[in-house]
Amino acid sequence: MSISIEHLTKRYGRFTAVDDVSIEVPDGSVFGLLGPNGAGKTTTFKCMLGLAAPTSGTTLFDGAPLTRAAFQRIAYVAERSALYEWMSGREHLEMQRKTFARFDAKRAAELMELFSLDPRKRVRRLSKGMRTALSVVLAFAIDPDILILDEPTSGLDPLNQRAVLKLIIDAAASGKTVVFSSHQIGQVERTADHIAVLKAGKVALSGAVDDLKAGAKIVEGVFPADAVALNGVATDARVSRVEQTGRIVRLTVSGGSDELAQKLSAMGAQGVRIVDLNLEDIFLNAVDPLHQSVDVVERA
Amino acid sequence: MPAVLTVDPRSGVPIYMQIVEQVKRSVALGVLVGGEQLPTVKQLALDLTVNPNTVARAYRELERDQIIDTAVGRGSFVRGNGAATSSSAAAGDVVSRALAQAVREAKSVGLQPEQIRSLFEAALTRWFRENA
Repeated sequence: MSISIEHLTKRYGRFTAVDDVSIEVPDGSVFGLLGPNGAGKTTTFKCMLGLAAPTSGTTLFDGAPLTRAAFQRIAYVAERSALYEWMSGREHLEMQRKTFARFDAKRAAELMELFSLDPRKRVRRLSKGMRTALSVVLAFAIDPDILILDEPTSGLDPLNQRAVLKLIIDAAASGKTVVFSSHQIGQVERTADHIAVLKAGKVALSGAVDDLKAGAKIVEGVFPADAVALNGVATDARVSRVEQTGRIVRLTVSGGSDELAQKLSAMGAQGVRIVDLNLEDIFLNAVDPLHQSVDVVERA
Repeated sequence: MPAVLTVDPRSGVPIYMQIVEQVKRSVALGVLVGGEQLPTVKQLALDLTVNPNTVARAYRELERDQIIDTAVGRGSFVRGNGAATSSSAAAGDVVSRALAQAVREAKSVGLQPEQIRSLFEAALTRWFRENA
């Protein structure tokens, strides 16, 4: 199933948590939602699922609004555990079986085993990580077509984090659509094929991970003298930042790195090189463009 | 075969390109030979813990570059009945890339083509004198 979030806005009084967000999640993709705390990730998830009423905007699943039937095929792991303290793992599974027609008891048992969860233990006696694991088990046991996972690895040890990532990959390889958020950019970098970065309720950046990585570079060159007129490159739409430290000029670009490198050479720069950026660099550039500012030259 | 492949997700190089490079390299080095079967997309994605669409894209690129063939329902295989042909093609590919990198470096520090050529000749002579 594809998911289209269209012009979603959610206000709480005067506070705008989500501000005109539009996101396309292709069918069969793993979509990573990134953003600093309070950027609006959880609110976006809640609005998608109808757990919070959006102020405006809609979410379409395969082109249609969410129906009761479609809801049966969507699994959700909430950021804050939606488990009942006094109930055991087994009782939660039983509740899931009654609610979701496609609940798979055999799969549920395998998943409980995978995370070494004791079905008799009450939630109140589970650690934070084990609560996350139980939520993940409940989500994957209903054989969903769509998984919406808000921080599905929080509190888990590295081994169990890896197990969750493999479940996501296995689901995607079987044609399911996954949307997940994580503070661990490395996890998103591995598992997601598309991402969006939210900042203060707005989409700061989105696209296919490979395309973003292929485009985002730093182009660096050393000029013979300190003062260089950078008019030719500073106004280029693909250049998001220009840093000048003495004779060294560094351009952060979202594309056209070869062409911009040639421009720098033509302007007299020596030792021009192109540096790859990973997703963390791209993320930091999107949420905090000045995070490594050194004598930043304002774009014209 | 999966044991041969490793990816570094934190690298700025897209993961599908890392897979493409490594398969080409393995073919060039004869680690993968003509007719050998590659893991399924799902299996390799799980082994490397990377996105399956990323692996599928790598396989498509490898097909386009005529390194592998994919038969629906049967899987992906390293191309060539004679392992040697595909191997030397892939080897050429790997070496060209390394040379292009060296030329770029040389150019960026301001060397002219003749200077680069004589540096290459010298390196070639030196290496064979010392390692022959």
